[in-house]
Amino acid sequence: MKQKWYLTITVVFLLMGILLSLQFRAQESFASGLTMQRTENLIAMVRDLSNKRQKLSFEILDLTERLTAQKQAERDDKQLVSNIANEMDKLNIITGATELIGPGLTITIDRYMPILYIDIINIVNELWAAGAEAISINDQRITANSAIFYAENSNNVFLTVNNHKIEYPVVIMAIGDAANLEKGLTIPGGIMDNLALFGAYPVLEKKDEITVVARNDTPHFYFLKEYKPEEKSSSENKPAANNQILKD
Amino acid sequence: MWILPLLGLLAGAVIGSTLTYEVPPTYIKYMSIAVLASLDSVLGGVRALLKNDFDSTVLLSGFFTNALLAALLAYLGDRLGVDLYLAAVFVFGVRLFQNLANIRHSLLSQLRNNKQVK
Repeated sequence: MKQKWYLTITVVFLLMGILLSLQFRAQESFASGLTMQRTENLIAMVRDLSNKRQKLSFEILDLTERLTAQKQAERDDKQLVSNIANEMDKLNIITGATELIGPGLTITIDRYMPILYIDIINIVNELWAAGAEAISINDQRITANSAIFYAENSNNVFLTVNNHKIEYPVVIMAIGDAANLEKGLTIPGGIMDNLALFGAYPVLEKKDEITVVARNDTPHFYFLKEYKPEEKSSSENKPAANNQILKD
Repeated sequence: MWILPLLGLLAGAVIGSTLTYEVPPTYIKYMSIAVLASLDSVLGGVRALLKNDFDSTVLLSGFFTNALLAALLAYLGDRLGVDLYLAAVFVFGVRLFQNLANIRHSLLSQLRNNKQVK
């Protein structure tokens, strides 16, 4: 009997302890939940949180602004670089720094034809006038600094282009509208007629693809300087700045 | 002789606090009534012990049925829109105090008897 009541009481107390602590914990978490808070506290919490939220959204706005600014700057940089690259390509083409390919006309002059350097100059001038975009004579590109002349030693007279001896057959290649170029040369009373009077008949050939070589030597400038006019107003500022960059 | 039950209470508290289970918020109300009822049963048991008419079946059955019935009644009251919850709180609260008073009386009379014997 004694044994028994001890056991029962202990079991009941154990269960009681479990129940009590469970309830204690549950009540505690319930009371700390939002539904049990006082209204003033809730109002304060809401105000606090909405303030925080507003601050954070301002921060987001600020950060996105900075992000877009950064992206814009990057895009501008890229634009600038690609502009410069484009400009560089164009300048390379103009100054003859690169090999060029395109349709055009070839003029072949053989050894037996009585042709002087002045005729070559005339042909080249005529080709430029007829809309040629790039011209080379054998392996010499005609650039802004090109000179067509002659040289002689004790036995012979040579044609020279850019102070390089030109071997026969002389092949003048011009990229451009082949038909126009041909017409420019064969116009009645034109160069071809003129040459025919002397018994020279250069061979004209229209081609779909001819290759004009790059110039072999880069020009060096020791004396010239770029002339920069004084900047007058801010509206003229921008293009001037652009030029500056391009020339750098 | 009271050490074992007290240890049981402590062990129960420890077990209860280490359990990861948490009572869902909707049942907290019924749980509290059940706790009140079982507390009343336990105190009733203690009182019976002191009065020497302890019966373990009565205590165990009272412990469980009181707790379950109290929770059930509170739940039913909620369903029906009657605050039976309050009735349970009142009844068990009153009985709790009565039990406590009885325990106090028994303890006091025991103490006096011991003194007279000495």
